[in-house]
Amino acid sequence: MENPRIQKIRAEAQKLLIEEKVDVVIGFKKGSLPSKMQPFFASSVEEIEQLELNGLCSNNLAVYLNHRSKGERVAIICRGCESRAIQTLVLENRHARENLTLIGIPCIGILDIHKIEQKLQGSISSITEEEGQVVVVSGGREHRFDRLDLLHDACLHCEHPTPVNVDIMIDEAGWIPENSFDKSYCQAFRLLNIAQRYEKFSHETERCIRCYACREACPMCYCEECFVDHSRPQWIESTVEQAGQQAWHIIRAFHQTGRCVSCGACERACPLEIKMTYLTDLLNQDMERDYGFEVGMLPDQLPPFATLSETEEQFFHQQDGDHVH
Amino acid sequence: MSIKWLSNQDYEKLLSGLIREYSLYAPCRSEKELGFRLVEEISQIAIEDSGNTRFPPKSLFFPQSEVLMKYNGILHSVEKEEKRKILFGVRPCDARAMKLLDHAFNDEKAPDEYWQSKRDSAIVISYACIAPGGTCFCTMVGGSPFGTVGSDAQFVKLEDGFVIRIYSEQAEKLFTDLPDAQKKMTQAANDLFDQVINGMPAMVEKQQVHDKLLSLFESDFWREISESCLGCGVCTFLCPTCFCFDIVDETLRKERVRNWDSCMFRIYSLEASGHNPRPTKSERTRQRVMHKYAYWVDQINEIGCTGCGRCVEFCPVNIDIREIVEKALHWEMIGGAK
Amino acid sequence: MKTVESKKPQIVLFQCQYCLASSMDQAWVENDLPANVKLIKVPCSGRIDPLYILNAVQGGADGIMVCGCDPHKCHYKEGNLHARRALSEFRNFLDMLGYPSDRFVFHWMGINEHSLIQPLLSDFENKLMNADLEKHLDTRQVDQEYF
Repeated sequence: MENPRIQKIRAEAQKLLIEEKVDVVIGFKKGSLPSKMQPFFASSVEEIEQLELNGLCSNNLAVYLNHRSKGERVAIICRGCESRAIQTLVLENRHARENLTLIGIPCIGILDIHKIEQKLQGSISSITEEEGQVVVVSGGREHRFDRLDLLHDACLHCEHPTPVNVDIMIDEAGWIPENSFDKSYCQAFRLLNIAQRYEKFSHETERCIRCYACREACPMCYCEECFVDHSRPQWIESTVEQAGQQAWHIIRAFHQTGRCVSCGACERACPLEIKMTYLTDLLNQDMERDYGFEVGMLPDQLPPFATLSETEEQFFHQQDGDHVH
Repeated sequence: MSIKWLSNQDYEKLLSGLIREYSLYAPCRSEKELGFRLVEEISQIAIEDSGNTRFPPKSLFFPQSEVLMKYNGILHSVEKEEKRKILFGVRPCDARAMKLLDHAFNDEKAPDEYWQSKRDSAIVISYACIAPGGTCFCTMVGGSPFGTVGSDAQFVKLEDGFVIRIYSEQAEKLFTDLPDAQKKMTQAANDLFDQVINGMPAMVEKQQVHDKLLSLFESDFWREISESCLGCGVCTFLCPTCFCFDIVDETLRKERVRNWDSCMFRIYSLEASGHNPRPTKSERTRQRVMHKYAYWVDQINEIGCTGCGRCVEFCPVNIDIREIVEKALHWEMIGGAK
Repeated sequence: MKTVESKKPQIVLFQCQYCLASSMDQAWVENDLPANVKLIKVPCSGRIDPLYILNAVQGGADGIMVCGCDPHKCHYKEGNLHARRALSEFRNFLDMLGYPSDRFVFHWMGINEHSLIQPLLSDFENKLMNADLEKHLDTRQVDQEYF
């Protein structure tokens, strides 16, 4: 199933290198473990042969744009979330669109390795993907699962798996699930009472070890000095305490309002499996409701906190209870 | 050194006794992970044939956040740990790591009392690894799945019970009521070792790795292998031999606290002047790898990595330190710098 | 901000330095604020970072009041517009996570509105006294003797 897709990707990438249109192609290649893929930076035609794309490609490649040098001409393999992240980065003047060549491919969802591990007793020898199914060899036996049962939660809630504003679209659609994914799961959270909501939030964050894997995996976290690293004054203590853990997640999520593309790379990077995409999904739902804004879909629509409107006036004198969940 | 035998039938009695008389810490399952916790009853213990705790047991001697002193007009030290504890079910890689950390914390002129007092009051009982996992590579760095460095005693699990190999007097006291192991059992343990060691990676020659890494100090090698690194702190925070820390004064709590720090963070080496001697991921990755595989060799003639594999398993982008060492050793052969 | 004796709700007032029209109001706020109200004066409501609000919440504030200027009246032209957008969403966010939104209020003062600040504060205080002040996000640990 993957073969025609990956072959077309490799062909396009090789063409770009041969025609000297780009300096590097960013994608994935096979990792050192059966459950992993490694981000890969190919700058020769031979290296392109190693490019792979499958459900174990768990990082958002857009983050590497923030690591590359400014003038470099980069091609990136983009699924839905990578393209929307790149669109937002370009909008925020982080990168020049003309230096980027986006090779788009409709996404069929990323697998959650923890969901796989939970279903098995022994260690994993291999993971192969077929149409709609995932075959895992473990303990000498073959186990078959429905792909839908193993998808990462962020992918189950994804509303835009098809990339936007790409230069080359690989038209092999791949396996498309029947259900349409959406963010209605947020409603369940909103319907909990305030004590329950706090309980869920504090329960997730109490495991946090402040390793900042979530921040570093996120393409939108590119500040040279993060607010937690600021000293004089130090706003958030570096000691691992409940107040610090909660403040870290609250403010990081809030800084992502209208910017987070809900890729879930943060959750997949977290060594303690902390849930955090629900925070930004809730905030982005408010952005849609109040400002009609969807992250990363249009090349010229600024996020709500980067813009103002004269019609703001009407909101200034409404009652305190005007925002209804 | 004596060798005892603990049958499966007697396991519960022995463990329950230890749990009663000491603070016994063993791998226990929580909602998301396996971790060393204080055991109240035997059913909590979750030591399986393969797999390891997410956090190494060094966290019991060197917690992520530790209050060093309190101040109330004058600075006074906190009470040092004195309660006797047992660490049970430690993997040989983690036990060896704690022995390595003794070198870091046990300076003759200024020993680290916080580490030392906890270490002195603890007995380490390891479990031999009878089913090493895909990310285990202790043999590559001079260790062994049945290694006993850093252990006061070691349990080797056989079908009918455990062979217990005892290496210190304080451990001897725990098992006095047990019978000596018969030759049949110790032979079975040795046979098991032969089986297990068969599939493990070959040891690298530490001087060779040391010299090669030093020769690559200025090369492009580091830029290439650090290209996909995100710069988070997962590898350092899960590592059993990492010991870097930062000290802060929490004025609202009137405490002086020490917290883990990571050389992988950009601000780790950022100086007050604004100068950063390790400005990019390249220098920081070089520092991490060379600290473990070259500078430790300089200091105590041991590789500072014990092959537990946590960094390999949990790195979000699958940076594999085994691959890095392998690549370094062959760097010139594949054309050197690009 | 845990005072041992006070049963009055602890309020943090973020006040833009230009929003109070009369100098008498300004003098009252600077000199005669009741003990249970803490003042944080900012050059413009747009300067208020959500981090400051969170600091107050984690420190045990029972109520937060943000006072800024009416639209078109901002000394810095648009600061209050930025503040309204970001802070009202932050208010929603805090409510989602455990700090009820009725404990976080905004007052955008017109240029001719004076003698409002005192009754606004006492109304807010009364509302808080009758409310259930659950301490969810109030998690900062401090030495009890510090205050």
